[in-house]
Amino acid sequence: MTEELRDEQLLARLAAALDASNPLPESVVEAAKATFTWRTIDAELASLVFDSAAEELAGVRNAEATRQMTFRTPGVEIELVVVSETSRRLVGQLVPPQTAEVTLHHEDDTRVAQSDSLGRFTFHDVPTGSVRLTCKLADDDAATVQTEWTII
Amino acid sequence: MRWPQSRQQMPTSEVSFPVMTETPVAELLVAAGAGSQEAWNTLVDRYGRLVWSVVRGFRFDAATAADVSQTVWLRLVEHCDRIRNPEGLASWLATTARNESIRASRRLARAIPTEFSVEVADDTAPPLDERILDDEQLQEVLGAFGEMSPKCREILELLCTDPPLDYEAISDILGMPIGSIGPTRSRCIDRLRRLLERR
Repeated sequence: MTEELRDEQLLARLAAALDASNPLPESVVEAAKATFTWRTIDAELASLVFDSAAEELAGVRNAEATRQMTFRTPGVEIELVVVSETSRRLVGQLVPPQTAEVTLHHEDDTRVAQSDSLGRFTFHDVPTGSVRLTCKLADDDAATVQTEWTII
Repeated sequence: MRWPQSRQQMPTSEVSFPVMTETPVAELLVAAGAGSQEAWNTLVDRYGRLVWSVVRGFRFDAATAADVSQTVWLRLVEHCDRIRNPEGLASWLATTARNESIRASRRLARAIPTEFSVEVADDTAPPLDERILDDEQLQEVLGAFGEMSPKCREILELLCTDPPLDYEAISDILGMPIGSIGPTRSRCIDRLRRLLERR
Protein backbone atom coordinates (compact mmCIF):
# COMPACT_ATOMS: atom_id res chain seq x y z
CA MET A 1 0.00 0.00 0.00
CA THR A 2 2.26 2.72 -1.20
CA GLU A 3 -0.33 5.15 -2.49
CA GLU A 4 -1.48 7.84 -0.14
CA LEU A 5 -4.94 6.93 1.05
CA ARG A 6 -7.41 9.53 2.11
CA ASP A 7 -8.73 9.19 5.66
CA GLU A 8 -12.15 8.03 4.48
CA GLN A 9 -10.66 5.41 2.20
CA LEU A 10 -8.47 4.13 4.97
CA LEU A 11 -11.42 3.90 7.36
CA ALA A 12 -13.44 2.10 4.69
CA ARG A 13 -10.62 -0.41 4.26
CA LEU A 14 -10.41 -0.89 8.00
CA ALA A 15 -14.18 -1.42 8.22
CA ALA A 16 -14.03 -4.01 5.44
CA ALA A 17 -11.10 -5.79 7.07
CA LEU A 18 -12.76 -5.91 10.50
CA ASP A 19 -16.00 -7.18 8.96
CA ALA A 20 -14.14 -9.83 6.99
CA SER A 21 -12.19 -11.00 10.01
CA ASN A 22 -15.24 -11.29 12.25
CA PRO A 23 -18.51 -10.89 10.35
CA LEU A 24 -21.87 -10.69 12.08
CA PRO A 25 -23.01 -14.34 12.28
CA GLU A 26 -26.41 -15.10 10.83
CA SER A 27 -27.25 -17.04 14.02
CA VAL A 28 -26.80 -13.83 16.04
CA VAL A 29 -29.14 -11.97 13.69
CA GLU A 30 -31.76 -14.70 13.99
CA ALA A 31 -31.45 -14.76 17.79
CA ALA A 32 -31.83 -10.98 17.90
CA LYS A 33 -35.00 -11.18 15.81
CA ALA A 34 -36.36 -13.95 18.03
CA THR A 35 -35.97 -11.80 21.15
CA PHE A 36 -39.13 -10.01 20.04
CA THR A 37 -41.28 -12.96 21.09
CA TRP A 38 -39.99 -12.43 24.63
CA ARG A 39 -41.59 -9.04 24.79
CA THR A 40 -43.88 -8.45 27.72
CA ILE A 41 -45.98 -5.41 28.39
CA ASP A 42 -48.02 -6.52 31.38
CA ALA A 43 -45.14 -6.47 33.85
CA GLU A 44 -43.37 -3.53 35.37
CA LEU A 45 -39.74 -3.53 34.35
CA ALA A 46 -37.16 -3.52 37.15
CA SER A 47 -33.97 -1.87 35.91
CA LEU A 48 -30.53 -3.00 36.94
CA VAL A 49 -29.33 -0.12 39.11
CA PHE A 50 -26.33 -1.75 40.77
CA ASP A 51 -24.04 -4.53 39.65
CA SER A 52 -20.91 -5.34 41.59
CA ALA A 53 -19.45 -6.85 38.40
CA ALA A 54 -19.63 -3.42 36.80
CA GLU A 55 -18.22 -1.60 39.82
CA GLU A 56 -15.05 -3.56 40.36
CA LEU A 57 -11.90 -2.17 38.92
CA ALA A 58 -10.27 -4.43 36.36
CA GLY A 59 -7.53 -6.40 38.05
CA VAL A 60 -8.80 -5.72 41.57
CA ARG A 61 -11.38 -8.45 41.70
CA ASN A 62 -11.30 -11.64 43.64
CA ALA A 63 -12.09 -14.58 41.46
CA GLU A 64 -14.40 -16.42 43.86
CA ALA A 65 -16.36 -13.34 44.88
CA THR A 66 -20.10 -13.32 44.92
CA ARG A 67 -21.77 -10.90 42.57
CA GLN A 68 -24.42 -8.55 43.84
CA MET A 69 -27.08 -6.88 41.76
CA THR A 70 -29.99 -4.61 42.51
CA PHE A 71 -33.02 -4.26 40.26
CA ARG A 72 -35.46 -1.46 40.99
CA THR A 73 -38.93 -0.27 40.15
CA PRO A 74 -40.54 2.67 41.93
CA GLY A 75 -42.32 0.21 44.25
CA VAL A 76 -39.98 -2.67 44.87
CA GLU A 77 -36.33 -3.62 44.80
CA ILE A 78 -34.94 -7.04 44.02
CA GLU A 79 -31.58 -7.71 45.62
CA LEU A 80 -29.79 -10.59 43.99
CA VAL A 81 -26.59 -12.37 44.90
CA VAL A 82 -24.94 -14.85 42.57
CA VAL A 83 -22.96 -17.33 44.64
CA SER A 84 -20.49 -19.34 42.59
CA GLU A 85 -19.12 -22.16 44.69
CA THR A 86 -19.28 -25.77 43.54
CA SER A 87 -22.49 -24.85 41.76
CA ARG A 88 -24.11 -21.53 41.02
CA ARG A 89 -26.86 -20.27 43.30
CA LEU A 90 -29.09 -17.24 42.99
CA VAL A 91 -30.10 -15.86 46.36
CA GLY A 92 -32.56 -13.00 46.27
CA GLN A 93 -34.64 -10.78 48.46
CA LEU A 94 -37.56 -8.51 47.73
CA VAL A 95 -37.48 -5.11 49.40
CA PRO A 96 -39.82 -4.26 51.04
CA PRO A 97 -40.06 -7.88 52.21
CA GLN A 98 -43.07 -9.70 50.81
CA THR A 99 -44.19 -13.06 49.59
CA ALA A 100 -44.20 -13.54 45.87
CA GLU A 101 -44.09 -16.23 43.24
CA VAL A 102 -40.67 -15.79 41.67
CA THR A 103 -39.99 -17.29 38.26
CA LEU A 104 -36.47 -17.65 36.92
CA HIS A 105 -36.33 -17.55 33.12
CA HIS A 106 -33.21 -19.05 31.67
CA GLU A 107 -33.26 -19.49 27.93
CA ASP A 108 -35.80 -22.25 27.33
CA ASP A 109 -36.04 -23.17 30.98
CA THR A 110 -38.21 -21.69 33.74
CA ARG A 111 -38.25 -22.44 37.43
CA VAL A 112 -40.51 -21.19 40.16
CA ALA A 113 -39.71 -20.40 43.78
CA GLN A 114 -41.76 -18.85 46.55
CA SER A 115 -40.30 -15.97 48.53
CA ASP A 116 -40.77 -16.23 52.29
CA SER A 117 -42.23 -13.57 54.57
CA LEU A 118 -38.87 -11.80 54.59
CA GLY A 119 -38.91 -11.69 50.80
CA ARG A 120 -36.12 -14.23 50.44
CA PHE A 121 -35.84 -16.83 47.69
CA THR A 122 -33.16 -19.14 46.31
CA PHE A 123 -32.50 -20.95 43.04
CA HIS A 124 -29.90 -23.74 43.02
CA ASP A 125 -27.71 -25.04 40.20
CA VAL A 126 -28.29 -22.12 37.88
CA PRO A 127 -26.30 -22.39 34.65
CA THR A 128 -24.55 -19.43 33.06
CA GLY A 129 -26.31 -17.40 30.39
CA SER A 130 -29.05 -14.80 30.17
CA VAL A 131 -31.59 -14.80 32.97
CA ARG A 132 -34.54 -12.75 34.11
CA LEU A 133 -36.79 -12.94 37.16
CA THR A 134 -40.53 -12.42 37.15
CA CYS A 135 -42.09 -11.74 40.54
CA LYS A 136 -45.83 -11.99 41.04
CA LEU A 137 -46.31 -9.97 44.19
CA ALA A 138 -48.88 -11.31 46.64
CA ASP A 139 -49.46 -8.07 48.50
CA ASP A 140 -49.96 -5.59 45.77
CA ASP A 141 -53.04 -6.65 43.80
CA ALA A 142 -50.94 -9.37 42.23
CA ALA A 143 -48.75 -6.87 40.40
CA THR A 144 -45.96 -8.38 38.36
CA VAL A 145 -42.43 -7.06 38.37
CA GLN A 146 -39.86 -8.28 35.91
CA THR A 147 -36.12 -7.71 35.86
CA GLU A 148 -34.11 -6.81 32.81
CA TRP A 149 -32.31 -9.68 31.11
CA THR A 150 -28.87 -10.06 32.59
CA ILE A 151 -26.04 -12.43 31.82
CA ILE A 152 -24.82 -14.32 34.86
CA MET B 1 -27.95 -20.00 22.41
CA ARG B 2 -31.46 -21.07 21.52
CA TRP B 3 -34.43 -18.77 21.82
CA PRO B 4 -37.31 -21.02 20.97
CA GLN B 5 -40.46 -19.50 19.55
CA SER B 6 -42.57 -21.77 21.71
CA ARG B 7 -41.88 -19.89 24.93
CA GLN B 8 -43.77 -16.94 23.73
CA GLN B 9 -44.78 -14.68 26.57
CA MET B 10 -47.00 -12.40 24.60
CA PRO B 11 -48.68 -13.03 21.30
CA THR B 12 -47.26 -10.95 18.51
CA SER B 13 -50.07 -8.85 17.14
CA GLU B 14 -51.04 -8.79 13.54
CA VAL B 15 -50.05 -5.19 12.99
CA SER B 16 -48.87 -5.11 9.42
CA PHE B 17 -45.90 -3.00 8.69
CA PRO B 18 -44.67 -1.86 5.29
CA VAL B 19 -41.02 -2.73 4.85
CA MET B 20 -39.15 0.13 3.28
CA THR B 21 -35.46 0.69 3.36
CA GLU B 22 -35.65 4.24 4.66
CA THR B 23 -38.44 3.99 7.20
CA PRO B 24 -37.60 6.49 9.96
CA VAL B 25 -36.30 4.81 13.08
CA ALA B 26 -38.99 6.52 15.19
CA GLU B 27 -41.70 4.79 13.14
CA LEU B 28 -39.94 1.46 13.46
CA LEU B 29 -39.76 1.83 17.24
CA VAL B 30 -43.43 2.77 17.48
CA ALA B 31 -44.45 -0.14 15.27
CA ALA B 32 -42.26 -2.57 17.21
CA GLY B 33 -43.71 -1.22 20.45
CA ALA B 34 -47.16 -1.94 19.02
CA GLY B 35 -46.19 -5.53 18.30
CA SER B 36 -44.82 -5.59 14.77
CA GLN B 37 -42.26 -8.35 14.37
CA GLU B 38 -41.53 -6.98 10.90
CA ALA B 39 -40.56 -3.59 12.25
CA TRP B 40 -38.40 -5.30 14.84
CA ASN B 41 -36.66 -7.37 12.17
CA THR B 42 -35.97 -4.20 10.21
CA LEU B 43 -34.34 -2.66 13.30
CA VAL B 44 -32.18 -5.76 13.75
CA ASP B 45 -31.21 -5.75 10.07
CA ARG B 46 -30.34 -2.08 10.23
CA TYR B 47 -28.41 -2.04 13.50
CA GLY B 48 -27.21 -5.62 13.99
CA ARG B 49 -23.80 -4.89 12.47
CA LEU B 50 -23.38 -1.82 14.66
CA VAL B 51 -23.99 -3.79 17.86
CA TRP B 52 -21.74 -6.58 16.63
CA SER B 53 -18.90 -4.25 15.73
CA VAL B 54 -18.85 -2.81 19.26
CA VAL B 55 -18.99 -6.25 20.90
CA ARG B 56 -16.40 -7.59 18.46
CA GLY B 57 -13.92 -4.98 19.68
CA PHE B 58 -13.76 -6.80 23.02
CA ARG B 59 -12.37 -9.99 21.42
CA PHE B 60 -14.71 -12.36 23.23
CA ASP B 61 -15.05 -15.98 22.25
CA ALA B 62 -17.92 -16.57 19.83
CA ALA B 63 -20.40 -17.77 22.48
CA THR B 64 -19.80 -14.82 24.80
CA ALA B 65 -20.02 -12.33 21.94
CA ALA B 66 -23.35 -13.88 20.91
CA ASP B 67 -24.62 -13.67 24.51
CA VAL B 68 -23.63 -10.03 24.85
CA SER B 69 -25.22 -9.10 21.54
CA GLN B 70 -28.36 -10.94 22.59
CA THR B 71 -28.52 -9.04 25.87
CA VAL B 72 -28.36 -5.74 23.99
CA TRP B 73 -31.32 -6.73 21.83
CA LEU B 74 -33.26 -7.99 24.85
CA ARG B 75 -32.69 -4.57 26.41
CA LEU B 76 -34.10 -2.91 23.33
CA VAL B 77 -37.13 -5.22 23.31
CA GLU B 78 -37.88 -3.99 26.81
CA HIS B 79 -37.21 -0.35 26.03
CA CYS B 80 -38.37 0.10 22.45
CA ASP B 81 -41.44 2.05 23.51
CA ARG B 82 -39.46 4.12 26.01
CA ILE B 83 -36.59 5.37 23.88
CA ARG B 84 -36.89 9.11 24.39
CA ASN B 85 -34.81 10.12 21.40
CA PRO B 86 -35.35 7.73 18.50
CA GLU B 87 -32.74 9.45 16.36
CA GLY B 88 -30.23 8.54 19.06
CA LEU B 89 -30.96 4.82 18.76
CA ALA B 90 -27.58 4.06 17.16
CA SER B 91 -25.86 5.79 20.04
CA TRP B 92 -28.08 4.02 22.60
CA LEU B 93 -27.33 0.62 21.07
CA ALA B 94 -23.59 1.27 20.86
CA THR B 95 -23.50 2.52 24.45
CA THR B 96 -25.52 -0.45 25.69
CA ALA B 97 -23.31 -2.84 23.72
CA ARG B 98 -20.19 -1.29 25.20
CA ASN B 99 -21.55 -1.34 28.77
CA GLU B 100 -22.65 -4.96 28.44
CA SER B 101 -19.27 -5.86 26.94
CA ILE B 102 -17.39 -4.22 29.80
CA ARG B 103 -19.61 -6.01 32.28
CA ALA B 104 -19.05 -9.33 30.53
CA SER B 105 -15.28 -8.89 30.36
CA ARG B 106 -15.16 -8.12 34.10
CA ARG B 107 -17.44 -11.02 34.85
CA LEU B 108 -15.13 -13.29 32.93
CA ALA B 109 -12.48 -12.10 35.38
CA ARG B 110 -10.01 -11.22 32.74
CA ALA B 111 -8.68 -8.04 31.33
CA ILE B 112 -9.47 -7.04 27.79
CA PRO B 113 -6.75 -8.83 25.81
CA THR B 114 -4.17 -6.52 24.33
CA GLU B 115 -3.22 -9.05 21.68
CA PHE B 116 -5.15 -8.54 18.50
CA SER B 117 -5.92 -11.61 16.47
CA VAL B 118 -5.24 -11.34 12.77
CA GLU B 119 -6.90 -14.64 12.05
CA VAL B 120 -9.39 -14.41 9.28
CA ALA B 121 -12.69 -16.15 9.79
CA ASP B 122 -13.19 -19.56 8.27
CA ASP B 123 -14.71 -20.40 4.91
CA THR B 124 -18.25 -19.98 6.21
CA ALA B 125 -17.68 -16.23 6.29
CA PRO B 126 -19.29 -14.25 3.50
CA PRO B 127 -16.92 -13.68 0.60
CA LEU B 128 -14.82 -10.60 0.90
CA ASP B 129 -15.82 -7.71 -1.26
CA GLU B 130 -13.05 -7.85 -3.84
CA ARG B 131 -13.53 -4.29 -4.90
CA ILE B 132 -12.43 -3.00 -1.50
CA LEU B 133 -9.71 -5.35 -0.33
CA ASP B 134 -7.90 -8.43 -1.51
CA ASP B 135 -6.61 -11.00 1.00
CA GLU B 136 -3.16 -9.50 1.18
CA GLN B 137 -4.47 -6.01 1.84
CA LEU B 138 -6.82 -7.43 4.43
CA GLN B 139 -3.94 -9.01 6.34
CA GLU B 140 -1.95 -5.79 6.06
CA VAL B 141 -4.76 -3.68 7.46
CA LEU B 142 -5.51 -6.12 10.30
CA GLY B 143 -1.83 -6.47 11.12
CA ALA B 144 -1.30 -2.71 11.24
CA PHE B 145 -4.49 -2.27 13.27
CA GLY B 146 -3.25 -4.89 15.73
CA GLU B 147 -0.12 -2.84 16.37
CA MET B 148 -2.11 0.20 17.41
CA SER B 149 -2.87 1.32 20.95
CA PRO B 150 -6.15 0.06 22.47
CA LYS B 151 -7.40 3.65 22.56
CA CYS B 152 -6.81 4.17 18.84
CA ARG B 153 -8.33 0.80 18.03
CA GLU B 154 -11.45 1.57 20.02
CA ILE B 155 -12.07 4.97 18.47
CA LEU B 156 -11.35 3.73 14.94
CA GLU B 157 -13.76 0.84 15.45
CA LEU B 158 -16.46 3.28 16.50
CA LEU B 159 -15.63 5.54 13.54
CA CYS B 160 -16.21 2.83 10.94
CA THR B 161 -19.51 1.33 12.09
CA ASP B 162 -22.48 0.79 9.82
CA PRO B 163 -24.59 2.88 10.23
CA PRO B 164 -22.02 5.47 11.25
CA LEU B 165 -22.01 7.07 14.69
CA ASP B 166 -21.67 10.84 14.89
CA TYR B 167 -19.01 12.54 17.01
CA GLU B 168 -21.55 13.34 19.71
CA ALA B 169 -22.40 9.66 20.10
CA ILE B 170 -18.74 8.64 20.14
CA SER B 171 -18.05 11.35 22.69
CA ASP B 172 -20.84 9.96 24.91
CA ILE B 173 -19.75 6.36 24.48
CA LEU B 174 -16.08 6.92 25.23
CA GLY B 175 -16.55 9.73 27.76
CA MET B 176 -14.26 11.93 25.68
CA PRO B 177 -14.83 15.65 25.06
CA ILE B 178 -16.48 16.05 21.67
CA GLY B 179 -13.76 18.48 20.61
CA SER B 180 -11.09 15.83 21.01
CA ILE B 181 -12.75 13.25 18.74
CA GLY B 182 -11.67 14.90 15.47
CA PRO B 183 -8.01 15.39 16.45
CA THR B 184 -7.83 11.86 17.91
CA ARG B 185 -9.37 10.48 14.73
CA SER B 186 -6.76 12.25 12.60
CA ARG B 187 -3.91 11.14 14.82
CA CYS B 188 -5.04 7.50 14.87
CA ILE B 189 -5.65 7.39 11.11
CA ASP B 190 -2.19 8.91 10.52
CA ARG B 191 -0.72 6.27 12.76
CA LEU B 192 -2.55 3.51 10.88
CA ARG B 193 -1.32 4.96 7.58
CA ARG B 194 2.29 5.01 8.79
CA LEU B 195 2.02 1.42 10.07
CA LEU B 196 0.68 0.36 6.67
CA GLU B 197 3.42 2.18 4.79
CA ARG B 198 6.01 0.37 6.82
CA ARG B 199 4.68 -2.99 5.65
